[in-house]
Amino acid sequence: MSRYLLGRIGQALLVLWGAFTITYFILYLLPGDPLSIMLNASGMEIDALTPEQLAKAKVYYGLDQSLLVRYGHLLWGVLHGDLGQSLTLNRPVTAILAERLPQTLALAASAIALSLAGGIGLAYLAAYVRWRPLKTALSRLPALGFSVPVFWMGLLLIQVFAFSLGWFPSTGSIGAASLVLPAVTLAIPSAAVYAQVLQRGFLDVSREPYILTAQAKGLSRGQVQARHGFRNAALPLLTLVGLQVGNTVSGAVLVETIFARNGVGRLVQEAVLRQDIPVVLGVVTVSAAAFVLVNLLVDLLYPILDPRISHAPKVT
Amino acid sequence: MKLQRTLASAAILLALGLAGCSPSHPDAQAASTLKIAFFGDNTQLVSLDPFQVYWLEHRVVLRNVVESLTDQDPQTGQIIPWLAERWDVSADAREYTFHLRQGVTFSNGEAFDAQAVKTAFDSDKAFTAEVPSAFGATYLTGYDHAEVIDPHTIKLVLSTPNAGFLQATSTTNLAILAPESYRHTAKERSLGAIIGTGPFVLDHYTPESGLKLVKRSGYAWASANVQNKGESHVATVEVTYVPEESVRNGQFLQGQVDILWPRNPFADVDLKLLQSKKATIQSRSLPGPAWNLYPNTHGDRILADADVRLAVQKAIDRKTYASTVYSPEFPVVDGVYDVTTPYFRSQGPKLGYDPQGAAALLDKAGWKMGADGYRQKDGKRLSLSYNVPTKETAGDVLIQDQLRKVGIDLALKVRTTAEWFTANAAGNYDLTFSYMTRADPIVLQTILDPRSAISPTMATNTYPPAILGHAQGLFDAGLTATASDQRAKAYGDLQDFLIDQSVAIPVFERVWQAATAPRVHNFRWSAEGFAFLNDIEVSP
Repeated sequence: MSRYLLGRIGQALLVLWGAFTITYFILYLLPGDPLSIMLNASGMEIDALTPEQLAKAKVYYGLDQSLLVRYGHLLWGVLHGDLGQSLTLNRPVTAILAERLPQTLALAASAIALSLAGGIGLAYLAAYVRWRPLKTALSRLPALGFSVPVFWMGLLLIQVFAFSLGWFPSTGSIGAASLVLPAVTLAIPSAAVYAQVLQRGFLDVSREPYILTAQAKGLSRGQVQARHGFRNAALPLLTLVGLQVGNTVSGAVLVETIFARNGVGRLVQEAVLRQDIPVVLGVVTVSAAAFVLVNLLVDLLYPILDPRISHAPKVT
Repeated sequence: MKLQRTLASAAILLALGLAGCSPSHPDAQAASTLKIAFFGDNTQLVSLDPFQVYWLEHRVVLRNVVESLTDQDPQTGQIIPWLAERWDVSADAREYTFHLRQGVTFSNGEAFDAQAVKTAFDSDKAFTAEVPSAFGATYLTGYDHAEVIDPHTIKLVLSTPNAGFLQATSTTNLAILAPESYRHTAKERSLGAIIGTGPFVLDHYTPESGLKLVKRSGYAWASANVQNKGESHVATVEVTYVPEESVRNGQFLQGQVDILWPRNPFADVDLKLLQSKKATIQSRSLPGPAWNLYPNTHGDRILADADVRLAVQKAIDRKTYASTVYSPEFPVVDGVYDVTTPYFRSQGPKLGYDPQGAAALLDKAGWKMGADGYRQKDGKRLSLSYNVPTKETAGDVLIQDQLRKVGIDLALKVRTTAEWFTANAAGNYDLTFSYMTRADPIVLQTILDPRSAISPTMATNTYPPAILGHAQGLFDAGLTATASDQRAKAYGDLQDFLIDQSVAIPVFERVWQAATAPRVHNFRWSAEGFAFLNDIEVSP
């Protein structure tokens, strides 16, 4: 087991390093010159500078070194917990992230919780209900939830719950109430996936012999579904939750724009546009780390939840 | 079974649809708070430091927190007293003596006096030495030193002539902050360590989220532009940045926001919706250059040929642009500058839509219409490259279509902001645009005078080498003229020259619009297109 764990941690580190490296070189390959962007940010165009001034500016921003040297510096810094200095915001990346991350973490956590509750609830209900029309309607819902664009859903929710009913604020990031609509928006597509997978799980499980046995023992439908059906059908959800962490950052770009929240999603979008490499790398590193960590946890949870799965080598 | 499924799906859609249509009910608003929604914060330069700020939305806010030696009459462009009661300018226009108003204090209690003015100007100058690219540097051009004559008299001495200096003293950029502000670092000032003499005090600023102003009690030194001579009517001003247009408009229509103030003018459909809700549309042309296209005339670029430039000038239908991209009432651009710029000279007759004339000019220049609808010469298509930052607008596509009608292919190249700057600096374009807002014609020097432009490449590329000298002569005439009639002549000549040579191709008037709710009264523009919030009253 510990050997398996070490192997997985090694793998996780490799994934992190890969994400960091690929992002760095992709950003570097983008056309456009970070120096001209930085100068423009303070109101000056690159062509207004003499070659000496230009050289000085390059040294100032650390752009005089070669691609690989800068890569090495950044990587070395990251290993020491230093994500470098934003090129345009003139502040350390860690400070910016510390300011922006809580917003996005709160959003992501509530979105994951909501999507689990919604997805499981829906699939559970769809499996339990016997009246055909309702069962059909419930089993159609996930397809709808998944195909409605996040952007449109966000605007719809604002229209209904912020403008018409006035229950929640339409924008902002102050207070728990402001978290509700964005979290729901972000949760809907994931909930749809969970519901669909779980519905399928219930369907497969219902054909298993142990369900027949349970029914033969005289358990009620509800008892069979809760004790024997759900536990077995729900396992694949765990993998999906792990994957959803990755979707959260990309989903946050849209959701944070619609709801005018200043989290990591908008930060990374703007950083990419102005080629603020350290900021993008910082966000990628942190979200990749979260992704890797959650998936590692998921893998370790499997054998605990289902004794049939084991990471230890089989002894025959 | 199939019917059941269809019914079930229809029920879901209906439920969603109905929910979207339910009626709305605006909340009543406390009359003591004024809520403004802007489109966005500046993410390139995170700063509220007046000297560094070019972002229009920040300048609106700052106009109400920090004040300047002078103010500018929005109707006449005349410079009028504010923190200085009167001033004398020496004959050579190098020495400006300001007699300061007495009894003025900064919001931290420090006295506003000659020493504070000296500290402000010297700190700005020192900042320029550190960061030569700071936006305020152009306003401060020529400033050498300040002499405190007595506690309420100060002489500002210039080393080189700067005809725009008096107007510069009226701007937010050269506002006088409390000495305490300058003891903070530039970074602290950028994030809100801004102490002024204005009718409001900056309570806090959260980048990309919003800011809050609170009323300054005891305020009593408004300029003649402001009707309310005492404390502000509203107790607080809350500013939020809402990037998504439909959400921002919705907040206003629902009564959650009092002033809806996006950067781009409202489209016709939005205008009709806003007016149906009894909103008032406040409009002002932003002083400074109109939204002009500037050609790249260098080397063997197509636009080196004056006839082709003139053809482009004639091929643009500005009336259609204003009425379709914006609204039927939208003003049609009438010159190099927007009409609110002092010494504006109309170029109307030269800016008429004349596709036949454009075609004749292109024929004369040797560009013959090809079978594909585009003109060609020596097997080369008449194709002009035009870089578009981040996304193309309806206006860009309209110009492309108008030019296509005379056989010019306008290649729209959508670039990220980063690529766009790089392409411009490398001269990699045929047409580009640039603008800046300041209520003095001198502002054009920062765009079109290669010696002081923000992008010298762009400024240099604008003129064919043969006429560059003449252009610089006109800029110098404007810079050194001090009497009003001299300035009028110098800048009038400059405007004629830019249009006659077709090195500036006006497209539309840069109009700034804000929608105010019916309960908001007395919204009035400053000369530079900002608002005096202390005049505004909000009925409950």
